[in-house]
Amino acid sequence: MLANVCTGAIKGIEGFAVSVEIDIAAGMPTLAVVGLPDAEVRESKERVVAAVRNSGFDFPAKRITVNLSPAELRKSGTQFDLPIALGILAASGQLSAEASTKIQNLLVLGELALDGTLRPCAGVLPMLISCQPLGKTAVIPPQNVLEGQVSGAPFITPHTLKELADYLEGKLEESAVKIAYVPEPEKPVCSELDFSDVKGQALAKRALEIAAAGGHNVLMIGLPGTGKSMLAKRFPGILPPLTQEESLEITKIYSICNLMGKSRLLTQRPFRDPHHTISDVALIGGGSTPRPGEVSLAHNGVLFLDEFAEFSRSSLEVLREPLENGRVTISRAKETVTYPARFTLVAAMNPCPCGHLGDPHTPCTCSPMQINRYKARISGPLLDRIDLTVNLNPVKYTDWNKTSEGETTAQIRERVLKARAIQRTRFAGSATPANAFMTSREIKQFCALPAGADQILETAMRKFGLSARSLDKILKTARTIADLEGKDSLETKHLVEVMQYRPLDRKGVADL
Amino acid sequence: MNPSISSAERLARIQLNAFLYFRADWLERLIEIFGSAQEILRQDAPTLAREANLNPATAAHLLRDAFAVNPQEEWDKTTALGGYIYVPEDEEYPQSLKNIKEAPIALYVLGQLPSNEQACTAMVGTRKITPYGRRAAAKLAGDLASCGVTIVSGLARGVDSECHAAAVRLKKPTVGVIGTGIGRCYPPENRALEKAMLQYGGAVVSELPFNSPPNAFHFPRRNRIIAGLSQPVVVVEGEIKSGALITAKLALEMGKDVLAVPGPIDSAQSAGPNALIRDGAGVVTAVSDILDYIPQQLRFGLDSRFFEKKDLSAPKPEEDLTPRQREVMNAVGSSQASLDQIAEALGADVPEAASLLFELEVKGFLACENGLYSKSKF
Repeated sequence: MLANVCTGAIKGIEGFAVSVEIDIAAGMPTLAVVGLPDAEVRESKERVVAAVRNSGFDFPAKRITVNLSPAELRKSGTQFDLPIALGILAASGQLSAEASTKIQNLLVLGELALDGTLRPCAGVLPMLISCQPLGKTAVIPPQNVLEGQVSGAPFITPHTLKELADYLEGKLEESAVKIAYVPEPEKPVCSELDFSDVKGQALAKRALEIAAAGGHNVLMIGLPGTGKSMLAKRFPGILPPLTQEESLEITKIYSICNLMGKSRLLTQRPFRDPHHTISDVALIGGGSTPRPGEVSLAHNGVLFLDEFAEFSRSSLEVLREPLENGRVTISRAKETVTYPARFTLVAAMNPCPCGHLGDPHTPCTCSPMQINRYKARISGPLLDRIDLTVNLNPVKYTDWNKTSEGETTAQIRERVLKARAIQRTRFAGSATPANAFMTSREIKQFCALPAGADQILETAMRKFGLSARSLDKILKTARTIADLEGKDSLETKHLVEVMQYRPLDRKGVADL
Repeated sequence: MNPSISSAERLARIQLNAFLYFRADWLERLIEIFGSAQEILRQDAPTLAREANLNPATAAHLLRDAFAVNPQEEWDKTTALGGYIYVPEDEEYPQSLKNIKEAPIALYVLGQLPSNEQACTAMVGTRKITPYGRRAAAKLAGDLASCGVTIVSGLARGVDSECHAAAVRLKKPTVGVIGTGIGRCYPPENRALEKAMLQYGGAVVSELPFNSPPNAFHFPRRNRIIAGLSQPVVVVEGEIKSGALITAKLALEMGKDVLAVPGPIDSAQSAGPNALIRDGAGVVTAVSDILDYIPQQLRFGLDSRFFEKKDLSAPKPEEDLTPRQREVMNAVGSSQASLDQIAEALGADVPEAASLLFELEVKGFLACENGLYSKSKF
């Protein structure tokens, strides 16, 4: 007897439909799964056997072949348990003919416990979205109800295999196998973390405001305890809200990584702060079965790398691709996948290995050589992708004790939103999301130099040792500053302010 | 050039000079005993030990080091760079260096050594230079160079580079005595500086074999050459235990005058010069204080205007500054200030402070290091 159940699998961050074909024939009792299954899919048969028995059905002692089609794509994940079990029930004639026909209209996803209970699985959202054109009703575990809701597809959420069988036989109403979706109340944006908590550091706050307004990457250099982490944690608060599309993109990535938790559709920009001992693969994504890394989890949000210079050289170098292209392509012998990874990099580092360079109270114990070596860990090509570098200095007691509050997150965010609105109009019909991502052609078009600026740029290049390559960065950043002021054209003062955020000083070289 | 000794003897001296674990005056004594460097190299270790009353192990070591060097190759490489290897018998070998106790028996020179009538002043100091040290070094070295004095220093990071650079900016000759062979550039970032020094009639000097690496013990050793070439010796900045203070000590032993640039009493980098002043070194508050110590016979040709006393601490009208820019200069004061501090003192926002600082930095009034601004000149 033959049965066919539709389910899904993941490639990259997109789902694809998989047809589970089950054939039961006379012969030695075996259960073979073919069609490029990964380890967790092969293990599924043990769970299926137990779940079928424990749900009050017989497991046919026959030769059972399960084929996952299309056979040339690798399949991973635990969502195949339920479709295989359901297919075996249909093929062995334990379901009525009517129920077996109903199966043709279902998209079945779910992991099974040994007692037949459904367990949540990863990647439900992208699979539902990709399979929507098939017009099938989805069967998903109750814990994945949020993803069913977000996808907009019709779905049911039975608790057990038995419940699903009963529903198909018409013994249970649809309402009995569909739990209600209760969204969590929307949290206000970072209410407990406000920019007014950070005392002093006007320059750093300004740099973050510019970064938020134009999508620029920032490097903060400062003594320990000057508020680098505090500022970074407050940074997502001043970013513009996610659009529906962006929100869906990141929710898909979180769905694949099984990181949805109990939250609703992700409506806040992600903030990822991996430790500096992170492996390259965890940062960028990969593995023999590719998984998104931290850079993709930070998609449309913030990647905060504290102790930037302590990250391994190779980890820092792999950041170059996502910083440049906004995506990561992972090529393995068996497959190539692409994950989106368009994030704002906020990096923080000490000025020297001991952390006290420029400290008025504790002298620095590093040799000039050590300091140079420390700074050289951040390679030139990587620095070229960081538009704003800012030094943080110790906060004076009088600043710390100030009664007057600095600007609040809400005030800064308002300016950021205005600047972003200008950019939306500017880039209407283009793929560029913000000033930081402008192409050379767009820079030419939108960043015309004001009169007299040539001379300023030339002086700055000579005086500060700026490369011709960094001129584009300067123009892009100046464009954002002009947008914050609501100015149509660049002015000299915008360019001059950008000079304040120029990269690391060359140390120990006397001007000739 | 009129060779004072045969080329074979010169090559033997170069070979003998490679033995760095010996004071140069001991090598001279050996040459006296045996009559020539060639003769020394003809001995075997036991004979050498017996005749010169040396430890046999030392004698063996000396010969091993000497024969590890190919003198012809040293000579060829040096002359290929346009250099020369001088011995004390040469006319061009600086008289001032001949007078010290441990004159190098071979001196590798690139560029042009100062004549015996040229006033030379050593300016030495820490590699960990502070903004104060930077502007003091640049001001004093610049004034000395304009006056016509040749600055001798060690081409190291920090104060040394700053002093050489001040002379180079004025296109004046300056002499760098380095702690590596002249075939190397250490620290590597000074390559451009070294090139410019040679371009403007200066010299790069070393007593070490052509390709010697920057070993720690080379540096105190070369300090005696810096002190030996100069009168007086000025210490700009340096900790209590530093190469600059070694140079000062060596200079005192040679009977040279040691001067020090006073600094804040809570600055580790000024602890060295302040201690020297306490112990009787001359105080430098302007270039005239240094010029007073230039020997009379070397003052011919120096610009007399610099001998006048000038008070560098006196407030000067800062020429073409706007009132707002002057406020910034006052806010920076004599120490360092961040943009935040300056903006607060002025009641300015970040963009305004940024543009004021940019103008002052471009005009050369301020310098920025690690986000802290300080005055870059007096």
